[in-house]
Amino acid sequence: MNQPRILIFACKWCGFIGADAAGKKRISLPSRFRVIPMECASLVETDAILRALAGGIDGIAVLGCHIGGCRYNNANHTAIKRLELLQDLLDTTGIGSSRLLLSFGTAHEDYQFEEIIKNFFDELTLLPPLDPWL
Amino acid sequence: MANISVFLCKCFGEIDNTINFDFLREELSKDPSVVLISIVDSLCLETDIEKTVSQIRESNSDKVLIAACSTLSRGNLVIESLIKEGVERHKIGLVDIREGCAWIHGDNPEDASKKAKDLINMGIAALQHKDMSDDMSVTVHPNALIIGAGPAGLAAAMSLARTGFKVNLLERSKVPGGMLKLISRCYPDNDDASNKLGPYLREVENNPLITFYPQSKITSVEGDTGNFTVHFSFQEKDSFIQAGVIIVATGAKIFFPTGLYGYGEIKNVINQMEFERQSLNGSLETKKPVFIQCVGARNRERPYCSTICCPISLKNASRIAEDIPGASVFILHRGIMTPGNTLEKYYRDTLSSGVQFIRFEEEQPPRIIGSDYVEAVEVYDAITGITRKIETDLVVLSTPLVPNNDNVQLAEMLDIEVDRYGFFSEIYPMHPLETKTDGIFICGSARWPVSSDHSILQGKAAAMKAVSYLRQSKIAASTLSRVPGLKSGHARVVPESCTGCGNCVAACPFDACHIEKLEGRYISIVNMMKCKACGSCVSVCPNGTMQIPEHNYRMVGEMIKMAF
Repeated sequence: MNQPRILIFACKWCGFIGADAAGKKRISLPSRFRVIPMECASLVETDAILRALAGGIDGIAVLGCHIGGCRYNNANHTAIKRLELLQDLLDTTGIGSSRLLLSFGTAHEDYQFEEIIKNFFDELTLLPPLDPWL
Repeated sequence: MANISVFLCKCFGEIDNTINFDFLREELSKDPSVVLISIVDSLCLETDIEKTVSQIRESNSDKVLIAACSTLSRGNLVIESLIKEGVERHKIGLVDIREGCAWIHGDNPEDASKKAKDLINMGIAALQHKDMSDDMSVTVHPNALIIGAGPAGLAAAMSLARTGFKVNLLERSKVPGGMLKLISRCYPDNDDASNKLGPYLREVENNPLITFYPQSKITSVEGDTGNFTVHFSFQEKDSFIQAGVIIVATGAKIFFPTGLYGYGEIKNVINQMEFERQSLNGSLETKKPVFIQCVGARNRERPYCSTICCPISLKNASRIAEDIPGASVFILHRGIMTPGNTLEKYYRDTLSSGVQFIRFEEEQPPRIIGSDYVEAVEVYDAITGITRKIETDLVVLSTPLVPNNDNVQLAEMLDIEVDRYGFFSEIYPMHPLETKTDGIFICGSARWPVSSDHSILQGKAAAMKAVSYLRQSKIAASTLSRVPGLKSGHARVVPESCTGCGNCVAACPFDACHIEKLEGRYISIVNMMKCKACGSCVSVCPNGTMQIPEHNYRMVGEMIKMAF
């Protein structure tokens, strides 16, 4: 069975807190994901996501704060718009937007983080592995 | 390549129960940049910090990587302790192998060990490229500028002056007092407005620290937190003030409901402000007043509740019901809004004073009968379903407060924001009275319609927030963080490669970037006093010129490479 690899860009104020809380509760999670904490979801560069996909990482998740709850004066709004455009681009190129998970305001709690990770794993397991280009 | 010493924390078995530390040591020793691998029982105890620091000093290492618990647990404590011992902030890296690895993969030690190895490699790769942001500081002018001398502005001025700071109080009109000057009594204690205002007016007159500028209008604002220069016209002469903080207490204005219920055409249809004016000068004569609530509010155009109109009607209605024998007082409402610990009692007291309440629906508003003098009001009672005709000699329209016309203009000058109605908006979440620009505060009805009591409360609160800036002699940009602790950095432009495209200017949520012409070409300049290091500019920069040194693209790129 395909063993997907996931890279998570987690906003320090939301997704990362969820990841940390899941750790504190010792919730058992699949191990093939790596979290990179970011100051804000708006710091996630589109090139970084493309580079990760080209490097053979099967799925990228960007976890940010909910709309209207950004610590940086709604910086996450622009991030959502930009990353949704990137999803369109991924669809156009055939990589598929399902490899880029955008989730804003839904990973703040431990169980929410758990659910997101597990569902994303299940989804990616059905997709063929991405061959690394780089 | 910097030499890195790696400290692996066992956390007294919490981590090494799952993760194989011998495997980690073996893998790490393959990395030529790692000069020291130290496995310890714990890092966060005081004695361990001393030991760690001496080990760092003895080893030939430039940077330190700690693999322990997360920053939200005790990781930050270790980092702060190391900084206290003289290790520079940007030379420390932290990898979370407890919450982020050992505790969530307890059932799979082999994968957990591999993941820990990858996480540490990511940490090393990131640390190699981690840089430090520049910082700047501004000398604070230890005086405040308050715009508007209504209850909020006066309360702020009094608090600041009594704390010992110089206050410049700007006011559009000739006298201080704002809207409180125009009304007779205040709810809920039915105290005379002049009594409430008195102490503040005396303070303005007598306190030498307060300078009052009547008939003044702001023309432009320059500078940053701690060092604002405000140009204004004072009695038709241009003047300027240098202030450390600005408190915006411009209040709101009354909505005149021209055309609604015959207002402006029929003599005995007035609004609440007219009612207050008449009761102030004693010309009020009514025995059968009808108050109509939500006139021009809670509709499509103005969907908000102005919050003060219901208590005002209660105040005026109960006053007539109690003072004038044989009076019949009606309040036609769409739901009485009396939140809080005092206003509900106020409502019940009004009920027992004999005031009658009739609820109507927005779709079926009351109808005025009479063309140049109102004789009666016809209203469909939404609860009983009966249309009632109420004889009256005075119709009082409760209208909402609306934002001042020049709010948008003022907000642009001050670099703060207005909400969709035009009131000044604070920054969300958890920063009451604070605005997008540090050192500028909003209070009173400029922010949202509030009662005089709440205006005073907010004015005092804004003053205390201002003190936290004014008491410093110098403000460093890195301390202007919205969250506990320091900022994570500041965006940095490489002038050689900046093309001056302006993407960052458009993306910045704090207006920290601007384009300047330098040596014949346009480049972006970051104002560190405003930058909050969110990274919005970084991700829109077309060629990676804009970076946050503590979290630059090389770090992210190398971390992605080492991730699996």
